[in-house]
Amino acid sequence: MTSGTSSPVTGGAARSGPATGATGTGDSGTGVPAGGSRGRSARATGPRTGRPSAVWAVPGLLYFGIFAALPMVLVAYLSLTSWGGLGSPEFIGLQNWTRLANDPLMHRAVWLSLLLTVLTWAVQTPISLLLGVWAAGPQRNRAVLSALFFLPLLLSSAAIAIIWRALLDPNFGPLAWLGPVLGMPTVNLLGGSHSAFLVIVFVSSWQFIPLHMLLYQGGARQIPASLYQAAEIDGAGRLRAFWHITLPQLRHTITTSSVLMVVGALTYFETVLILTNGGPGTDTTIVPFLMYRAGFRSWELGYASAVAFTLVVVATLVALLLVRFTGFGSMRSTKEGL
Amino acid sequence: MTVRLAESPSRPPARRRPDPPRTGPFRRRSGRDRPNVLAGMGVALWLVIVALPLYALLIATVQRAENYTSSGPFTPPTDPTLGNYGKAIENGLLGFVLNTAIVTAAVVAIVVALASMTGFAIVRSRTRWTTGVFRVFLLGLAIPSQAVIVPVYLIIVQLGLYDTLTAIVLPTAAFALPVCVLILVGSMRDISEELYEAMALDGAGSVRTFLQLVVPMSRSGLSTIAVYAALQAWNGFLFPLILTQSPDKRLITMGLFEFQGQYRIDIPGLLAAVVLSTVPLFLVYLFARRSLVQGMMGVGGK
Amino acid sequence: MRTPRLSSLAGAAALCLLATTACSGGEGGGGGDDRMHVWMYQDSLVVVQEGAVERFNEASETEAVIDQVPGDNYEERLRTAMGSSEQPDVFFNWGAGSIEPYVEQDMLHPLDDLLAEDPELAEAFIPSILESGKVDGVQYGIPLRGTQPVMIFYNNAVFEEVGVEPPETWEDILDLIDAFTEEDVIPFALAGGDPWTEQMWLQYLVDRIGGPEVFARIHGGDPEGWRDPAVLEAAEMVQDLVERGAFGDAYASVKYTEGGASTLLSEGRAAMHLMGSWEYSTHLDQAREFAENDLGYVEFPPIPGGTGDPANVVGNPTNYFSVTAESEHVEAALEFLKYTSQEEYVADMVENGEVPTTANAEEAVADSPNPEFAVFQYEMVRDAPHFQLSWDQALPPNVATPMVTEIESLFNGQITPEQFVDALAAL
Repeated sequence: MTSGTSSPVTGGAARSGPATGATGTGDSGTGVPAGGSRGRSARATGPRTGRPSAVWAVPGLLYFGIFAALPMVLVAYLSLTSWGGLGSPEFIGLQNWTRLANDPLMHRAVWLSLLLTVLTWAVQTPISLLLGVWAAGPQRNRAVLSALFFLPLLLSSAAIAIIWRALLDPNFGPLAWLGPVLGMPTVNLLGGSHSAFLVIVFVSSWQFIPLHMLLYQGGARQIPASLYQAAEIDGAGRLRAFWHITLPQLRHTITTSSVLMVVGALTYFETVLILTNGGPGTDTTIVPFLMYRAGFRSWELGYASAVAFTLVVVATLVALLLVRFTGFGSMRSTKEGL
Repeated sequence: MTVRLAESPSRPPARRRPDPPRTGPFRRRSGRDRPNVLAGMGVALWLVIVALPLYALLIATVQRAENYTSSGPFTPPTDPTLGNYGKAIENGLLGFVLNTAIVTAAVVAIVVALASMTGFAIVRSRTRWTTGVFRVFLLGLAIPSQAVIVPVYLIIVQLGLYDTLTAIVLPTAAFALPVCVLILVGSMRDISEELYEAMALDGAGSVRTFLQLVVPMSRSGLSTIAVYAALQAWNGFLFPLILTQSPDKRLITMGLFEFQGQYRIDIPGLLAAVVLSTVPLFLVYLFARRSLVQGMMGVGGK
Repeated sequence: MRTPRLSSLAGAAALCLLATTACSGGEGGGGGDDRMHVWMYQDSLVVVQEGAVERFNEASETEAVIDQVPGDNYEERLRTAMGSSEQPDVFFNWGAGSIEPYVEQDMLHPLDDLLAEDPELAEAFIPSILESGKVDGVQYGIPLRGTQPVMIFYNNAVFEEVGVEPPETWEDILDLIDAFTEEDVIPFALAGGDPWTEQMWLQYLVDRIGGPEVFARIHGGDPEGWRDPAVLEAAEMVQDLVERGAFGDAYASVKYTEGGASTLLSEGRAAMHLMGSWEYSTHLDQAREFAENDLGYVEFPPIPGGTGDPANVVGNPTNYFSVTAESEHVEAALEFLKYTSQEEYVADMVENGEVPTTANAEEAVADSPNPEFAVFQYEMVRDAPHFQLSWDQALPPNVATPMVTEIESLFNGQITPEQFVDALAAL
């Protein structure tokens, strides 16, 4: 899986180089194709159609290659080194990987990340789906409320985490006042093992449900009204219409939104850093935070790279599933038809 | 986001907008006939969850620090003050906003330029390897930017760019590219073959075709990716955290993060800074709500 | 036909690149400016260094500027910057262990010549303190702050209200915990969100129970040293304290760097606070009235049956300035270091409640806003047979980071003392 992940990227990038060169020389010549299938196919359609040569993709690909794909390759390499951020990385073979396999903290981080992903999905999907479908309606108050529901999207993750940290502060925030009112002297949500984790789930839901709600709202708007009219004629109730029309019609949106949630949950970082700093203890140390901690606090950047690479592999798996589920193939066939 | 591309090439946002009243669930029926009590209750609950913290936030920012803990989070102060906002400005918040604006503009410029060119090549070029390019970007979707912070740090240091705004711009734009390319490919595919042929009959080369046909026709896609790229830059946290350090390079997110230590337990002051930091995006929301919402709908990116 | 198309394409690409580089040019890197950057850990003591920079700028052609780095991630920031070309010229550190990685990479400017040329500077500091600025016998750090022993601070008003006396023995501590919990006062403020503050408890307990030898062995690189019975006993005592409610029940999310623990003490919601001597300056800055009227302090009491000398002290002997080897302002930086022994600098420290580490400290502290506190602190350090540097500063970061997390888990009751010892021995 590992090599399969990175090789298409590098392969693609590497192939682009020479191909570009060839096209370039061909072009700058007399206009006669320099030979090879590319030149021929370009001439087959004729230059007059204004088709771009593949060179158009080069700047983007090169840029992406240097600042996104190259780091991917480097992260794989760095995972085989010992590096403290000063001087040069030193090759140490698979040591980081054997350590990773036996690191209880990593095991726990993986478990916590999975738990977070599942909880995120289970909490956010139903809420945002229902809200989104509701918001797709035309009534005026819906528009007003939707605008209000949109507000958390204007806040950055850092801002949201800071707000919640302040609101949940047991000594100096509203809870210090609210706790006694509710008959609890101290409400220390961020300091408890389970509660801190649930706070992360809650805060990320608060932050991201508006976004997913928007997605569902957009999806629901595209459902043809005729389907509902037909259902009404059949005497189907609201619940049945939702179950038999809305849900199936939204399946693509559900996939998109779910994938976004999963990838998002796998990469939560600043929320954890600001809200709990990975604590109490290591109870909210999920994989991205562990990577940061290993890299920029313990200064074991090689080990951090191994953790990071694991993250990349998981995320790529998710992306491959995405490709599978959402019919990338159909996109290609559309292209074929051009 | 790819799903949307896959399912909606025939219905780009621009064309979808005029007709919502005709489609959609529960129109007419549920809206008029009988109120949906359950939905109403659910929405009311969510309203409380969203609005109450925001209300507490705003109340806190006009509170004096010394009264904050004692007065309770939901009672408006009897002697509101704007001092907290003044203090945030004194502490250099506007500089952070400016830095963020520069970074955002640069990221958007790079992404729009590169993604549109790449998208054009993928959609219109007849060579086989553009499919490969497409796949590279598709896989690129999966790379979480967090995961490559270590090598990105290494590369930025090697380029001598550590502690510059460019250090933030370069990787941020690179990681925004895949999504943007995919979105643009979707919207460029919708341009009809006849238009291309008309351009060709006109004798237009690829540059003219690009500038006069492709760019204007994929406006909605372009504004979507601009929104997406801008939000990425606006929210960026890890890149600025690791790749910059000096106060004059601070972006808003970093500035707020560091205010936590500076403001200590002055929660009203800290929250005022948070609120103030959202003003630019809030203004965009007020004046360009439609494109922002459409952009987010189209992107679905975090 | 094709050629112009290509060239305009190239032009577009060039434009993109230009936009990027122009952007970077406009911003001008932090180290790109001509000033000498002095990095300081952000807290209320920085006013002293700010004064020094002001005086320095009046006299020197090089303009110095202080970059205050938030304490929470000072070391991360320092090391990421040190790995780049934008290094600070002069930077704050904890001496010995904390600068070793940089010394190994030849990144610091040796200061032996400076001291040899300027014997007055060398003699200005207490020799043992200067000694801690050395790595492998070479001087790399010059003391920049007062000495920072850890002690128990208390709120006099709260003690009077409850009608109790400051602790002198461990028994007293346990009695006080009961007395305060009954009155709904948190006995000890504790910033569990910054576990290095919890570390102070363990440092004292281990030292009082087993003496400095216990940690010396660990510091020497033997993780089995954690299995010393003193560590287990200390951990059990921590567990006992937590169970008695010594720290209240909301300490896990209190941050020191955000002032949470200190405020609990100054507002009287907590009675005591085990903290470094800088706590005094913090209160002077944040709650002046309290600092002047109600802030009390005592030494950490002996532990019954312990073999460690009760006069031992833990904390930071002081902090140091080091100069980076590649700095463009090495000469100016060396000149700047001399400011740390000047009269005004020492006077500023004293005024800010610090006890300088200069040889003349004893006379200087007479001018302190609180001479009593200054003398107390001075004598505490002077009479200590051993001054234990904070563990997380003494150990390399790849051990210190997980160690601090284990300490946090112990205090949170997430692991037992036995698990704590096992986890540390496995580091």
